[in-house]
Amino acid sequence: MIAQEQKPMDEILGYLEGKQRIVTMGCGGCATFYQTGDKKAVKEMAEKLTKEGKDVTKIFLPLGISACEIDMSSVFLEKNRKAIEGCDAVLVQSCGEGVQVVREYLDDKMGLAKSVYPANNSMGNVGGGPTDFKETCQGCGECELGKIAGICPLTACGKGLMNGPCGGVREDGKCETDPEKDCAWVKIYERLEKLGELDELLKMREPHAWSKMKRPRTFKIEKPISLGRTMFGSIPEYVSFGLRKPFTPKHEEKAEGE
Amino acid sequence: MAKEVYSELMKEVEEGKFVWTGELEPEKAGSVESVVQAAKDLKGHVIACNVTDSPQSFATLSSLVAAYKIQEEAGMEAVYQLRCSDRNRIALQADVLGAGVMGIKNILALTGDHVALGDTPDAKPVYDLDSTTLSYMIRKIVDEGKDLAGNEIAEPPKMHIGAAGAPGAAVLQAEAYKVKRKVKAGAEFIQTQVIYLPEVLDNFFKELGDLGVPVFVGIFPAKSYGAAKFFDEAVAGVDVPPDYLKNLKKTKEIKDKAKRKEEVDRVNVEYFTGFLEHLKDTPATGCHMMAVGYPRIIPALKKVVE
Ligand code: SF4
Ligand code: SF4
Repeated sequence: MIAQEQKPMDEILGYLEGKQRIVTMGCGGCATFYQTGDKKAVKEMAEKLTKEGKDVTKIFLPLGISACEIDMSSVFLEKNRKAIEGCDAVLVQSCGEGVQVVREYLDDKMGLAKSVYPANNSMGNVGGGPTDFKETCQGCGECELGKIAGICPLTACGKGLMNGPCGGVREDGKCETDPEKDCAWVKIYERLEKLGELDELLKMREPHAWSKMKRPRTFKIEKPISLGRTMFGSIPEYVSFGLRKPFTPKHEEKAEGE
Repeated sequence: MAKEVYSELMKEVEEGKFVWTGELEPEKAGSVESVVQAAKDLKGHVIACNVTDSPQSFATLSSLVAAYKIQEEAGMEAVYQLRCSDRNRIALQADVLGAGVMGIKNILALTGDHVALGDTPDAKPVYDLDSTTLSYMIRKIVDEGKDLAGNEIAEPPKMHIGAAGAPGAAVLQAEAYKVKRKVKAGAEFIQTQVIYLPEVLDNFFKELGDLGVPVFVGIFPAKSYGAAKFFDEAVAGVDVPPDYLKNLKKTKEIKDKAKRKEEVDRVNVEYFTGFLEHLKDTPATGCHMMAVGYPRIIPALKKVVE
């Protein structure tokens, strides 16, 4: 998911200075998850802007409808065409992807030249949860995980080294660049040791092929996935998910029992 | 196949001599005069001198230019240090080929401290290659006349490749694997980070086993208490013995400058005599003296090994 946090209100108000009629739009994807673009976040944003004397139109995107998936979010843009036509600025409460997909749709499909502003700062692709997340993959296009113990040093190592560790590992196994972060190569070493595959460390890894990272990257699939395939087909799994016990990691269970 | 020897440094190694190298740091300045002078001062004491490349990511004058100048103007062979932190493979290759033209015969392939640690923390770190793949790239250039992509290089340069080792690394086994990997990739000699403690030296060699290339052990006789303290506090994996530090600290009380110098020298000779005696019984084939600005100490230390 794309990690994100809301920008300071001062910055947002700075963009909107001199603009009276504002459309603010949320996102039912990552931004809902990080509570930067869910219904509540959009309502709160609208309240703050109203307090500043603005006329605000809210566009909520329900869970599962991401701002960045134009095929779905455009339905809500079209529904609000009138408000958008009449507004001075559109604020998008999503990641930078969502902001630009919306901006492009307004420009190219709706023929509306509008100021579009981000409400959030996007901080990359992260995994984990429920409260702590970290970046472990930068989507480089040429995955090396199969060669390096399932830990991506391009992302987890402060220098992105393919043949680490560097000479700067701290005494407690933390990274030279940040005492709070683990050295990825110490982790790789420990994991290979457990797997009995330390000899992997003698293999030189060719320099990473960055040609797949030629920006801006584009991506095509043959046909879009159907609703049937995504949602309806998964009904039994949704049902069992609904019946689940709240998730507690094993070690915490134990700690509680002790 | 008899190994080809291109540099004076590797010639001494081939002859089975115990090798002494020194270190010079270009400054953040538009001049290399002080570096050339320091090289002249080291002449006769060491066979070659490393020329640092923006050490600890403090941006300085080009190591290639300084390396060329000490060879030309001081007659001191250079070990040209080259970091991956600031250049992609195209720039690295350009510098390697350029170094050949400038008469450089030894390159030390380094990953480089993270740029965020230095005096220009907003720089974009590069790390397109690392010390291992840089060694590999230079190997390919020198031996096969090809670049990493397999393109032909006309008149490839002839030079030796060195790499670094960190005997004080937090996870020594991982570091040892890394050093072996660098040797596999093409490094012909290893220069280590500074070591003060004999047991660190022993553990390192034990972990390395038979490496098959010469290892020059880094030592740092400190010209002052402050310099030793800096190493102790700021450099990862370097522990300076408390007694040595204490003795250096005491020299600060001596008012007379000449007497203080004498005492600093005495403290260093005393400590390093023990250390070098120990080193003689290890597989080390040389010493890399990072005694920047402290050439007067070298003859006394060399005597211990000879
Ligand atoms: S190598 Fe790393 S960045 Fe690239 S795809 Fe794999 S996990 Fe992601
Ligand atoms: S300390 Fe470890 S994670 Fe940090 S830059 Fe060095 S090798 Fe990478």
